[in-house]
Amino acid sequence: MYTVEIKNLIKKFGTVTAINNLSLNIESGKITGLIGADGAGKTTLIRLIIGLLPKDSGSMCTLGLNPDTQKNELNAKIGYMPQKFGLYEDLTVIENLRLYADLKNVPQEFDKLLEITSLAPFKERLAGALSGGMKQKLGLCCTLLDSPEFLILDEPSVGVDPISRHDLMQMVKNLITGKTTVLWSTAYLDEAHSFDTTVVMDKGKIIYEGKPHDLAPDSAEFENKVIDLMGGYKKEESMIAKNYTPGNFDIEYAVEACSLEKKYGSFYAVKNNSFKIKKGEIFGLLGPNGAGKSTSFKMMCGLARPTSGTAKIMGTDITKNPEKARSNLGYMAQKFSLYGNLTVRQNLEFFASVYGIGLFDRKKRMEEIIDVFNFKDIQNQKSEELPLGFKQRLSMACALIHNPPVLFLDEPTSGVDVIVRRDFWNHITSLAKKGVTILVTTHFMDEAEYCDRISLFYHGETIALGTPFELKKNAGAKTMEEAFVTLIKESENEKQ
Amino acid sequence: MIKDILRRIFALAKKEFITTWKDPKSRGIIVALPLLQLLVFANAITMEVKNIDVVAIDRNNSVESRELISRFKKSPRFRNIYLTSSDKDFRSKIDNQKVQIGLYINNDFSKSLRGGKQSNVLVVSDGRQTNSASIASGYASQIIQEYVLEFNKGGGASINPVIRNWYNPNLEYRWYLLSILIPMLALVVTLLLTALSIAREREMGTFDQLVVSPLSSFEILLGKTIPPLFIAMFLTCFMVFCIIFFFRVPFMGSFVLYLISIFISLLSIVGVGLFISSICNTQQQAIIGIMIFQMPAMLLSGFVSPIEDMPFCWQILTYINPARFFMALSRGIFLKGMGAGDVITNLIPMIIIAAITLTLASRTFKRKLG
Repeated sequence: MYTVEIKNLIKKFGTVTAINNLSLNIESGKITGLIGADGAGKTTLIRLIIGLLPKDSGSMCTLGLNPDTQKNELNAKIGYMPQKFGLYEDLTVIENLRLYADLKNVPQEFDKLLEITSLAPFKERLAGALSGGMKQKLGLCCTLLDSPEFLILDEPSVGVDPISRHDLMQMVKNLITGKTTVLWSTAYLDEAHSFDTTVVMDKGKIIYEGKPHDLAPDSAEFENKVIDLMGGYKKEESMIAKNYTPGNFDIEYAVEACSLEKKYGSFYAVKNNSFKIKKGEIFGLLGPNGAGKSTSFKMMCGLARPTSGTAKIMGTDITKNPEKARSNLGYMAQKFSLYGNLTVRQNLEFFASVYGIGLFDRKKRMEEIIDVFNFKDIQNQKSEELPLGFKQRLSMACALIHNPPVLFLDEPTSGVDVIVRRDFWNHITSLAKKGVTILVTTHFMDEAEYCDRISLFYHGETIALGTPFELKKNAGAKTMEEAFVTLIKESENEKQ
Repeated sequence: MIKDILRRIFALAKKEFITTWKDPKSRGIIVALPLLQLLVFANAITMEVKNIDVVAIDRNNSVESRELISRFKKSPRFRNIYLTSSDKDFRSKIDNQKVQIGLYINNDFSKSLRGGKQSNVLVVSDGRQTNSASIASGYASQIIQEYVLEFNKGGGASINPVIRNWYNPNLEYRWYLLSILIPMLALVVTLLLTALSIAREREMGTFDQLVVSPLSSFEILLGKTIPPLFIAMFLTCFMVFCIIFFFRVPFMGSFVLYLISIFISLLSIVGVGLFISSICNTQQQAIIGIMIFQMPAMLLSGFVSPIEDMPFCWQILTYINPARFFMALSRGIFLKGMGAGDVITNLIPMIIIAAITLTLASRTFKRKLG
């Protein structure tokens, strides 16, 4: 019994073939994980399945209906949660639920949902004021209101911390019946490993379909196997790090946070946060959504003003002399935040001159960067038209254009596929070896392993600080993910 | 040091130019908006005129002439009648727009009237305000005609109201409108260009990227000021060119003074726009901000109704409105050849407005960082 039956499906956008002669059956009553590189066609496939896009050719059948012609009947039976679910940020949690219940014409009974999702205490809070993890939970609630036969989730866990991710998974498992079919697209391979079936896509085709356990018994091995399937990743010497010319700095601690504090009214978003990062160290800021790590991060680079305390970058106080402190800083934001309608080259040129590279050196530096990052063929393309992986490389290039001794990365790999992530971390670790000091936040616990030291953040305070090995040992955990969950739970218990 | 600052500001300005031009929306603002408005305003706007002030010279000083003047006093449309005996006072009252109408009665007025002959009354109107001028002089001749009908009761006497429009002798409605259209369009375009610029970067997340760079907030402010200022300047000059060469409106004043006036006027509007932008988080909010400023700014500029006719408290408000001074300057220099002294009096308030709004803008986006 299949929920979705697809045969020889083709979908083109202009000259680009997004779905290339694809055939796939999705079994009813199972959870199917959809994985693949950026631009492999995952989102296109999902949108075709539920009739949001018309197909070019091939045959397709969802829940026994034709998505092209019977979209209205189909809509009543499916629940679809896009990457960014359409919550109304100016309505409260309960108002959002009521609205979606009315839209879907189902009774307004939310008690069970609110209990399972532990959103009950936040009923009256504005959806816009929720943390990333809670927003996704609420989005999922709204999707599940009318108990759909077929649930489609498009990367619901991007930018969500491990605990909320775990909750999301539990929610889906608790709230569906044995008959519900789930199609779950994800960039987290440990998530995909726990599903019933795995479908791996590459260049608009299915390259693997089967039980994840048949591919590998544990999730780390599973990741390697998936990478092999997608063409493999060969670790090469990082050209970016090779071409980095370190400045001559004689300083022990490149970055210091000195009792940073941020207060909103009587609420501490960050409380007495102090740490020192040695030159050439990779320092990770970890913590659940809304724990205050973003606020700390923003204060460190001068995007937010601390209520008290300060931060020093290469010995320069960020609150007293922000311009000088920032000239030593390379910054890469969570979402793509370069100028979308400038070309790759214009973006690089802009940041080069902003960071004080003179006209004469600029030309040379630009050629160097374009060469090292392999931008030759795309240098005159508008940057908003680039695929995600390239956007991310461009962000990195702009952050590194002035050879900064310190690099701040705010969830740099959010929403990026596994191969790009590996490549990214290869560059980062190589740069650290050359003496670049790196401060990074991430929700990928496997990435946390790359860090030399980690500060675990919860409720505005540091609850653990040490090497990944020390943290795991303290928590008595095997993986970083386990350690994360255990340490947060312990801190929670202490509070009570 | 200075070289570094200049280079950074230049980089920022260059980026602004490219993004403004590449964005089809802002390109539309620059190109399509002026053309559209030119068409729309070409044949619009009629206004009722009330509270007309009159300056009168009565060389005749007879029962008849006093009676005629008292008719003006009784009419609900006319407000104050200033009686004067000096030609200089007469001229300056019209010149300074204290009055809209001047009435000149010759010393042979009563004689001709009694003798059943035709006598002339000179009605001078302020041709710079085309619309109200023609309406007001219409009312004036109506009153004069009614008077002579009553006086005569079928006799042969008549009064011929001779209407003269000073400053705009043919009362070219277009002249007035076009000289006003320059500041109006410049206001709209400049506000849109600037008010969206910071808000757009906030929305896209690029503003954070700027803030973490070594750019100081002063440099960001300058980089955000220069491009819209130049674009608006270019646009305004283009409009002036069109008005002079295609619409054939004679330019009476000094070009240099006019350019300086435009520059400072635009600077003050850029200041307002950037201030709006700095307090908004999204482009949507910025658009609402523009609306909130733009409507009253236009209504209180003297375009719709003369400032002298407004209630006192509204008149005071016009002093913080850059559009008011911009319009006075554009109209004054273009049609009347306003002198340097008057130009400076109008420029000083705008320099103050620019200084305040630009300072506020840079302060606000600094504080917005939290």
